[in-house]
This record gives sequence, C-alpha cells and structure tokens, in this order.
Amino acid sequence: MSPAVLSLTALRKSVPGGRVLFAGLNLEVAPGEIVAIMGESGVGKSTLLNLIAGLDQADSGGVAIDGVALESLDDDGRTRMRRDRIGFVFQAFHILPHLTLAQNVALPLVLQNLNAAEATSRAMTILDSIGLPGRAGDRPSQLSGGELQRVALARALVHRPALVLADEPTGNLDPETAARILALFVAEVRGSGAAAILVTHSERAAAVADRSLNLTRDGLVHAG
Amino acid sequence: MPAERRPLSRTALAWMMVGEWRAHPGRVVTAALAIAIGVALGFAVHLINGSAQNELAQAVRTVNADADLQVHATTPLGFDERLYPALARSPGIAAASPVVELSARFGTGPSRSLEGGGLTVLGVDPLRAATVTPSLLGRGAAPAAGAKGFVPESLFDPRAIVLSPAALSASGGKVGEVVTITAAGRTVDFVVAGVLSGAASDPQVAVLDIATAQWLFGSLGRLQRVDLKFASGANPAAVEAALRARLPADAQIVTAQSEARRGDNLTKAYRVNLEMLAMMALLTGGFLVYSAQSLSVARRRPQFALLRVLGLERRGLLAQVFVEGALVGGVGAVLGLGLGLGVAVGTLKFLGGDLGGGYFRGVSPDLVVTPLPILVFFILGLAAALLGSLLPALEAARAQPGIALKDLGDKNDPNAKPAAWWGFGLLAAGGAAAFLPAVGGLPLFGYLSIGLMLAGGVAAMPWLSRVLLSPLQGAGRRNVSIDLALKRLWGAPSQAAVALCGIVASTSLMVAMAVMVASLRGSVDDWLTEILPSDLLFRVESGGFDADTRARIAKAPGVRDILFQKTLPLRLSSDMPPLVLLVRPVDKARPDASLPMIGRILDAPDGVTPVWLSEPAARLYGREVGERMVLPLGGANPQVFVAGVWRDYARQAGAIAIDQSDYTRLTGDDLRTEASLELKPGATPAGAARAIRAALPPDQAAQVQFFETRQMRAIALRLFDSSFALTYALEAIAIVVGLAGVAATFSAQTLARTKEFGMLRHVGVLRRQIILMLAVEGGLLGAVGVIAGLGLGLAMSQVLIHVVNPQSFHWTMETRLPLPLFASLTVALIAAGAGTAVLAGRRALSADAVRAVREDW
Amino acid sequence: MAPAFKLASLALLTWLLTAAAPGKPVLPVFPEVRAGQPLTFPADHGSHPDYRTEWWYVTGWLKTEDGRDLGFQVTFFRSRLSVDQRNPSAFAPKQILFAHAGLSDPKVGKLLHDGRMARQGLGLAEAATTDADIVIDDWRLKGGADGRFVAKAAGADFTLDLAFTPSQPVLLQGDRGFSRKGPLPAQASHYYSLPHLRVSGSVLQGRRRVKVTGEAWLDHEWSSTLLDPKAVGWDWVGLNLDDGGALTAFRVRDADGNALWAGGSLRAQDGATVPLGPKDVTFTTERIWRSPRTGGRYPVQRELIVRTPGGERRWRLTPLFDDQELDSRRTGGPVYWEGAVRAPGARGYLELTGYVSPLKM
Repeated sequence: MSPAVLSLTALRKSVPGGRVLFAGLNLEVAPGEIVAIMGESGVGKSTLLNLIAGLDQADSGGVAIDGVALESLDDDGRTRMRRDRIGFVFQAFHILPHLTLAQNVALPLVLQNLNAAEATSRAMTILDSIGLPGRAGDRPSQLSGGELQRVALARALVHRPALVLADEPTGNLDPETAARILALFVAEVRGSGAAAILVTHSERAAAVADRSLNLTRDGLVHAG
Repeated sequence: MPAERRPLSRTALAWMMVGEWRAHPGRVVTAALAIAIGVALGFAVHLINGSAQNELAQAVRTVNADADLQVHATTPLGFDERLYPALARSPGIAAASPVVELSARFGTGPSRSLEGGGLTVLGVDPLRAATVTPSLLGRGAAPAAGAKGFVPESLFDPRAIVLSPAALSASGGKVGEVVTITAAGRTVDFVVAGVLSGAASDPQVAVLDIATAQWLFGSLGRLQRVDLKFASGANPAAVEAALRARLPADAQIVTAQSEARRGDNLTKAYRVNLEMLAMMALLTGGFLVYSAQSLSVARRRPQFALLRVLGLERRGLLAQVFVEGALVGGVGAVLGLGLGLGVAVGTLKFLGGDLGGGYFRGVSPDLVVTPLPILVFFILGLAAALLGSLLPALEAARAQPGIALKDLGDKNDPNAKPAAWWGFGLLAAGGAAAFLPAVGGLPLFGYLSIGLMLAGGVAAMPWLSRVLLSPLQGAGRRNVSIDLALKRLWGAPSQAAVALCGIVASTSLMVAMAVMVASLRGSVDDWLTEILPSDLLFRVESGGFDADTRARIAKAPGVRDILFQKTLPLRLSSDMPPLVLLVRPVDKARPDASLPMIGRILDAPDGVTPVWLSEPAARLYGREVGERMVLPLGGANPQVFVAGVWRDYARQAGAIAIDQSDYTRLTGDDLRTEASLELKPGATPAGAARAIRAALPPDQAAQVQFFETRQMRAIALRLFDSSFALTYALEAIAIVVGLAGVAATFSAQTLARTKEFGMLRHVGVLRRQIILMLAVEGGLLGAVGVIAGLGLGLAMSQVLIHVVNPQSFHWTMETRLPLPLFASLTVALIAAGAGTAVLAGRRALSADAVRAVREDW
Repeated sequence: MAPAFKLASLALLTWLLTAAAPGKPVLPVFPEVRAGQPLTFPADHGSHPDYRTEWWYVTGWLKTEDGRDLGFQVTFFRSRLSVDQRNPSAFAPKQILFAHAGLSDPKVGKLLHDGRMARQGLGLAEAATTDADIVIDDWRLKGGADGRFVAKAAGADFTLDLAFTPSQPVLLQGDRGFSRKGPLPAQASHYYSLPHLRVSGSVLQGRRRVKVTGEAWLDHEWSSTLLDPKAVGWDWVGLNLDDGGALTAFRVRDADGNALWAGGSLRAQDGATVPLGPKDVTFTTERIWRSPRTGGRYPVQRELIVRTPGGERRWRLTPLFDDQELDSRRTGGPVYWEGAVRAPGARGYLELTGYVSPLKM
C-alpha cells in the first residue's frame, strides 16, 4: 500500500469557549481515495477541513500531508503546502468577481509563480474539459451557480494537487445541478488521481465516496 | 526552487490590482489625488520659498557687493562721513570704501505702486571700490582680476551712471542714453555709462560717483555705508570687536552672515508657517489614503483570505496591499510634483516670491529647482501613502484566512465600547504642547500641538461618533429606515470612524485656518479704522516737506486739521530686519489719542525721551513698558524710555513711534514725508489735493501722492487678502479633497453592502426605505464629521491664534468666528454624505437582490 | 622732467566733466607756468594745487648690507580735475593723488612695482602746501625742518622705508626753475631737482628686511600744459656723477622718433650750471631690448652726447638689468621702461616712454 496522502492522528480541537468539538480523531486517506465526512451542523466539519488545510491549529494531535507533519511547518510552510499540494472547493464558490474565469482558475498556478501565459493556457484546457469551453474570458457575474462551481472545481484541480478539500460543494445548488456537479467532481478528481475529502450533509453526495464517515465528538465513525 | 524565495507572485499581484482598479477606479483616483495635492502644495511652497530666498540672498549680494565687512547706518539719514577715515585707519583694515546708499526711482512723478520705486542708488568712490567691491564697477570697464587703482572713467563723470541689468531694463534706456532718477526729493538726469555684471532678476542698482550723490541728492557730510576689506592675516573677529567698540550709535557692523540672518529672520516665520500648512495638507492626504486603503482592504478581506487559502504567503499579502499603496502614492507624488511645479510657476508669476506677503519688494525670483527637494517630496508622498496602507495591510495579513473567508462585515461587537483613551491622550498632549514656548523664534510646539490634536481627534472618532449617536438611539423606533441606519452606525463604529477620519482631518484644519484668518482680518479691519481716522492722506516718497511748506499746506483751502509724520527704516540690530521709526506728534500725556495703545502706559522720567513700541517690536526685541533702550539716532544720549505698546498689523518687523519734536531734536531732521488731514465741511478730497499741490514747490508737487482714506483701507484689505491668497487656496483644496474623500468613502461602503441590501429587500424592506436609511446614515455621518471637525478645528484655531501667531508674527488678535462659512460647511458635508450614500445605494440596489444574497462579495 | 609722462595714466581718464548740477558748472582755471617766478623753499617743496599736474619723483641706487645693488623709484602725483568747483562734498574729486613705487633687484630680474590712488580729502589723501608732505593711505613722502625727506611705500612684494638727506643745494632746471618742454612757451613746467641725496633706510622683501644706503635724485615739477600735441613719448635721464656733478637730459619725440624738443642741465660739483637746449642733447641707440610681454622695443643701452661750452661729453648708459619695464595698464597707466642705469663715472635712472603706444595727455 502506498503511503497515505493525509493522515490525522489523535486530533483534538475545542472552540474558544472551551467546548470540545472532537478528540482522538484518526484518519488515513490513501492516494486517489475519496472520503466523505458527514455530521450535524456545528459538529466541526469545516473546522476539521481548516485543520487539514493548515488554516487552523489543533489542541493536540497531528496532521500530515504526504508524510509531512503540518505542526512542523511555520505559516509560510503551511501556506506553500496548501499552494502546492491541496485544492479547494467551497460551498459559496469564492470566485473573484473582477477576474476572468481563466484568471480565477489560473490563480493557484500564478501563486506558484508560473508565468501568466502558461498558467492561463493550462486553465483554459481544464475549463474546456469541465464543460465551459470558450468561456475563459468571461466574468463570473455572467455565470450561474452551477457554472461557478465548475470553475471552482477547475481551480481546485488545475495545479494537480494530491488532496482536494471540498466543503459542501453542492450546498448552494438546486438538486439537479448538485447531482451534475457531484458527478463531475468525482469524475474529475478520479481522473486527476487526487485524493479528496468531501464534507457534506447530503447522503447522495456521500454515496459517491469510497468511504463515508460521520464526525462525532469521539472522532470519525463509519457511516451507514 | 526559486519560487520558494519569491512570496510575491507578480502575476497574481497584477491581476488583483488591475481587477480592483477597473472595478473601482474612482477610489484609486481619489487616493492618488489626495497625495498629489498634498505633495503639490508642499513642493510648490518649498519651491517658491527657495526661489525667493535665493533671490533675497542674491539681492543682498548685489547691493552689498563683496566687502568682508560693512558698517551700516541705522537709518537712511546715515552717519557722519568722518567715521570713514577713522574706519580706514583702524588696525586690521586693508581698505575702506565709503558708500552713499539711497532709495530712488526712475522718472519724476510719484511711483505707481505703494511700495516705492525699488531702485537703489549707490554713490561710491571708484578708486576705493576697485579694491573693496570691484563688482560695483561697470562691466566692460572692469579690468582683469586684481585690479588696483583702476578708475573706470565713467564713474568720475557726474553725469555718468552705471546700472544693474535690472535697473537698465526698468529705466527703459540703453547705454549712452539719458535716464532720469529721483531720490531724496531731487530729480537728476544721468547718462547710462555702463552696466554692472549680474542677472536681470537682480535688484535695480544705479552706481554713480559718491561726490555727485552727496551733492545732488542732499546727503552732504553723510554716509550710509562703509565697505571694509580685512588686511591679510587680520583676525576678523578681533577686528570686528574693535570696530564695534568705536562705532557711534547710528552705525552698526554688518557681515554677510548677519545680512543672511536678517534676510532669514525677515521671512522665517512666514516661510515656516507655509511649509507647515503644506505639511498639513500632505497629512490630510495621508489620512484620505488611509481611509481609502483601509476600506478597500476591509471590503476585500474575503478575497485576500481566499488568496491566503489558495497559497499566498502572509508576506505576499502584505506586499500586495503595500505595493498597491506604493503605486497610488508614487503616481500621486509624481502627479503632485508636476502640479506643484505648475503652482509655483504660476504663483511666482502672479503673486511674487513672497506669495503676496510683501517681503521681497522689487525682487522677481527665477524658479530654482534642485533634485533633492524633488526626491524629498516624492518620498514624502510615497511615505504618506505607505503609512496609510500600513495598518490595513497588517490587518489583512493578520486575519485568519479560514474565518476571514466567511466574514461578512464589521467584526466589532455592537456592545463593546470603543476605546477612547489614546485619542484623549493625544488630545491632552496636544493641549499641553500649546503651552510650550517658541523654539528659535518658531512656534514648533504650536504645530506639534495641532498635529497631536488632529491625531487625537481622529483616534477618538469611534468613541465620539457613538457618544454623539447615543441620544438618538431611541429616536428611530417608529421609522424602520432611521432605526436601521442608527443600528448600523452604532454597531459598526470603526467603519464609521474610517469614513470620518479623512473628513474630520480636512474639516478641522480648514476650520482652524478659517477662524484664524477671519480673526486676523477682523482685527486688522478694526485697527485700520482706528489708525485711519482722517479723510485724506498724502505723501512724498523722497525728500520731504520742510517747516515752511508744512505751514503753507496747513493753510491750503479745504484743510481743517492736518497731521504730518515721517517713517524711516531703523536698524536696531544687525541680525534683524529694519523696523520702522514712526515720527509723528504724540501727546505724551495721552498717547492713546494718537496711537492704538494696548496695556500699560507710563510717563517717561524727566529728561528721558519717551517712545512707544508696536506690539511686534516689543515682542521681537523683548522690551517691556517701563524699560529703557538705546535708540540709535545719533545725539548725545541715545537712551529712550519705553512708555507704552500699541497694536500694529502693518509692520511685522516692528515699529517705534517717537514724538516729532523729540526726533528733530535728536537728528536735526525737520523734513516730514506723510500727512493725514481732515477736510473742512463741504470740501472735496480732489479740491483739497489741488490746493495742497498748489502750495508745494513745483518739483515736489509732481511727486506727491494722495490717497483717500477709504481707498487706503481698501488697498490695505486687498493686500491682506492677497497675502492670504494661498491660505484661501489651501482651504478650498482641503474642502474639495475632504468632500471627495467623503464621497469615495461613502460610496465604497455602500457598494460593499449590496448583500445586506439584498437581505433587507428579502425580508420586505422597501427600496425607498433603504434609500432613506442610506440618506440618514450618510447625513448622520456627515453631521458627526461636522461636529467633530468644528470642535477640533476650533480648538486648533485657538492654538493658531494664541500660540502660533504671537510666536511667529508677534501680534495678538481676538477670535472671530466665520459663521456663514461654518453653516455652509455643515450643509455641504451633510448633503455630500447623504447624497453620495444615496447615489451609491441606488447603484447597489439596482443589482438583483436575490443574486446579491447568494454572492459572497 | 622725467616723470611728466606719468600723468598719461590719467590721460586714460577723460575728465571731460560736465556738470549735472543745476546751472552752469564752474570749472577750474588752470594757471600757466611763467618764467621769472622765483621759487621759495620749503613752500615750493609743497603742493601747488592750482596747477593741473604735479609730481615728486625720487629715483636712486641702493646698496644693501651685503653689498648688492638695487634700483628704486618712489613717485607721488597730484592731478587737478576739471570738475564743477561748486560741489561742496568732501569727496568731490577736485584733486586726485596717486603714487607708484618700483624696485629693481637683479636677483629678481624684473621690476617689482605697486601703486596707490585716491581722491584728496578727509585726511586719507592729502598734499600739503607748506612743505613736501603727500599722504595716500599708508604711503607718504614728507620733508622735514632739517631739510631731510622721508618716504614710505608698502607694496605687495616689497616695502621701501627710506630717508633722503640733501648734500647739495637745490638745482633749478631751465631758467631758474622755468623749464621748456616744447616749441611753444606755454609748454613748460616749474622744475627743480635735488641730486646726490644721501639715502639711508631699509627695504623689506618678503619677510626679509635689509638695511640700505645709497644715492638718490628728487625731481619736483608742476605744470598745467606740458606736451606738444605731436609728442608720442620721451627719453629722460638723471645721473649723479661720481665727481659730485649732476646731469639732467631729456628729449621729447614725435611719431617718427625725431626730437620735438630737448633739454637738461649739467651742474658741476662747484655749483656751476650749464643749461642744455634742444641742440645740446643727443641720444644714440646701442642695444635694443624687446619686451617678451608687450613686444615693446626699448633702446636700453645707449650713448648720451651732451654739448657744453667746454666741449662735447659722452656717457655710455648701461642698465642694471634689461627687464625694468613697468606695465601699469591694468591700473589704467601706460607701459614704459623705468630703470637704474650706470655709466662710467655716473649712476642714475633712465626713463623711456611711448615705445609701446603713444602717450596721450
């Protein structure tokens, strides 16, 4: 078995008020594996994603990506880890309104200091493949929600991350669009060979994952 | 990997900036303009001052030539010429050159301006000047260096005169032609024999033989100046000290250094005040940049958070915001430098080097631009922008990207009390600084006080806006719009403060200046009424009216009552600009009948001559009523008694009034140059002027100028206004920048709240209710800004009136409030606040409300 | 008559003075020099301010303590200007005083010289009428009750501090002090000399002050009209003869180098004086020195032939050194050669003017 893309060890996190969100949380995600994480509102699903992305820090325990412990990195190191190894898809899309679609998608590449021409060309390729051919120069305001989430998916994958973190990617979409986006998500992630963590409320969404886990106070337990 | 070492992705930076600027160009332009205007004002004032200083120094050099040391008469009456051989024989002196120095003009009639003709006539002995001041001998005639005993033939010719280039062009003549010169009341024709070397912008100087000057211009036996050359190896300080001990009271030693100090003292206060004003303008620009940048950062916080999530390092984000600020500042600074250059050129052309202040008479400076000030003002502009960006940049970089990504607005807890202590601390420090004395004759602490108050006022804005709004808390219960507006302002005080700090800064500075200028103008107006009580004034520029002529004038038809006086420059100290000796009848028992006295009035002890000092003279020379001082007028006992102090706004270098009989007793000079008279009932000013002219000797009749009192008063106030022209311009610009800042800030804040409006529309708030809410918000913010700006400005105006003015101009005044200005300011600010908020709100509301809710930015 | 040309320096100053004062200017009237006016001393040692020009001219040879020969000249001039006499100013340039001093040191190889110039008045520049006493700042020539004269002239390169004691009576030139200078009777001056003055004093060169002794010659001359309009310059020589005699000779040249006028005197040690007329004085040229600075060609070595009732006498004049040219153009004066010369049995001074450009009066 190849080494885990992500491994969480005895993770414990509490909110500023002192309430413990979870403790003793362990998880190993293999390359190419899609893991769905479910749970009730407020249980800390987004917080867990922030911990994995190095955007927040656990009380104790360890987060390792490609075998590198995030605790051993400073903020710059964690930032570079996100930039190089992680892709993000958000519920609210977070597509920058004053950039073109290609520029939005190319952002992770230019942040890696790839030159603008190369970055936009790669962005256009991936925009074609996710069903937005010829729209590279459009502005986000001309797009529907589903289209915006396609752009977000392209942005998450454009720099060939090892791990994609998706936080309720279909939460803002109508059921029909949500299904289409979910299928696209699975297909594209699998196509890229990346592993993915998919945080969702939706059973249907969870069903597409290789593994489906429930987040509780005591950690992750197999769902269903 | 090289990318590891480059946290700033240039492409990302460029995309983000271009995108932002394309989306909100007005905001960028306003911020750049704020910096540009600040830099322009500072740079222009600096250029003008520098050029004027340069001119002044050049003028001093041209008139004083290249002597090592000069002995100068304290008044234009000069000193006894027998001082010259005594000086020439003094140990350590290699050569001495006697000079007769007269103020003069070309032509015969009165000069057109109030200021006089601007021509200096120098009578020199060319045989002596050749050794001491060769530059005073004509060009072309002057032999190679080291000339000794050379005699330019022209200078012995009593008809010959050598002119400086400026004088030549003013005369309208050419070499070989006849020019007419009037000095000391006499008019003489000369032939232009040569031209002095020097620039056309140098002062007008005419050089002729000393004997001719003494004879034809009535200066027999008197010299105004002796130029000295040290013997080689002499110790200048020792020679100077030895000479000083032997000089009579009506002569004093002048060196290049003391002349430079004199020139510097003449204009220092004025210059520094203007530079400070310019710095204030720059400071205002800095505040506007700060408010623009911090709003922009606050609005884009989620965007920045996304960049952080996607892998932009903290330093990269810091750099992003900083580079934006630097570009705005750089563009603004370059723009400002160009603008400043233009303003300087225009000002020099239309107002002169003293900005209309009247200090550099007859000098029209060339612009002097050197690289260093350009660099300094560029850096100042850049620094203002960078400082304005610093806080927002730090805030953006510090934010937790995970939280910020989802953050929707002001993080402040509506129940938290804004901290006010450091705002109050700064205000208190500012108040304390106002009580410190001047430094080197400059009110530096006064300006520090104003700066601290400004910073304190701005820092206290969150607290203040909440305090001002709290009485309204219950007011909006019945109207949803007002209620919402109040709730928002109450809940997000720091956003309100950001919007307000630029406006408070510019408003308060403007109010302070306006109050100061209004107070000064009011005081000057009152004072003019007091000193110009008569109907008609007239004067003769040179020479004067002798006793016989005065008696004839007094009997002229139409004249009911007449008062003669004389003014002449008096050098009390070689470091200070000459003050004015005012010779007129003064009732020693009741000086307040003759002069606008302030404070105590004492009787002089028997046998001691009383004098009355103007307020600036008393402050400049540190004299109190009841003290004795030396009045360098010659005579056996130069000691006089300071019997009182009077108010004077006209002579900033100071004035000393002396009774005319005392003056004539001390100097033997019985000529008077000015008169003011009251007309008999029914007499007209024109008729009286005709009658007086008829009573004068013919050549004098041609030179006399008449002024009606009304005219004088208008002229005086016009001079006042022109000297404050730049101040008015600064005020206007501060208002414009302030309003532009308000507009940009409000519209930015409003547009940033599109989603909020969408939500309100969802829950059923009507469009017009939202518009009303925005109008109320904008109006309230404007009102808070006005109240804070007025309060702060009034406090700062008191520092200007009671600290800065007495310390730098040596006069006091009573506070007067320009209420109409305040009223229009209030209306303008509230209207601008409400208006821009409404305009921006309409734009924000035009977007699809449903979409607005869904969007995160 | 030697120094007369010095007034040419004032010729540069065209005192064509018209009055600027109201009314007609009152110009000075310059008296003519007339024969038969007896000279009385010490009053005639003093200034004669009515006349247009006047000078006191001391030249001579000095010997330093260490035996070196130096030549020197100290000259004071007075010039009355044609200005409006009504100007009551103490600075009115009615009289201008100026002075030149020169030092000929063979070790230096060229003439050192300096000058002073001032309008008379206020005690700084004065010329007394009772005895010789001319002051310009720190320069002075003064006659004393004991008949001695003292001179002080401090220049940039040297200072002369000398006393002159007459050893012989006054030598009245021409007709009892009336000396013709041209074909017209009015072209004349009052002129007397004091040859064989014993010199004592010191010369300061750089920081070194040396005591000197020597023998000098004083000319004092005043006039209102001096030169013929055709004159371009003159040659003059005054020799102290070793036998106690004194020779004065001059000629005024026209543009072709011919003598317009010539004259002089030869006084024997016993006081017998032979006046010399235009036909009695001849200068021949033996060697010409060309000035590298001005290009002037000066006959510095020459033979002087003087016809006397006792027969023709000749003196071969040799300069102390060649370069004794004095270029005072930068101070408004002329270029001329003024140098110490010797002849067998005689030492004195030779003056050559008008060799670079014509002298104008």
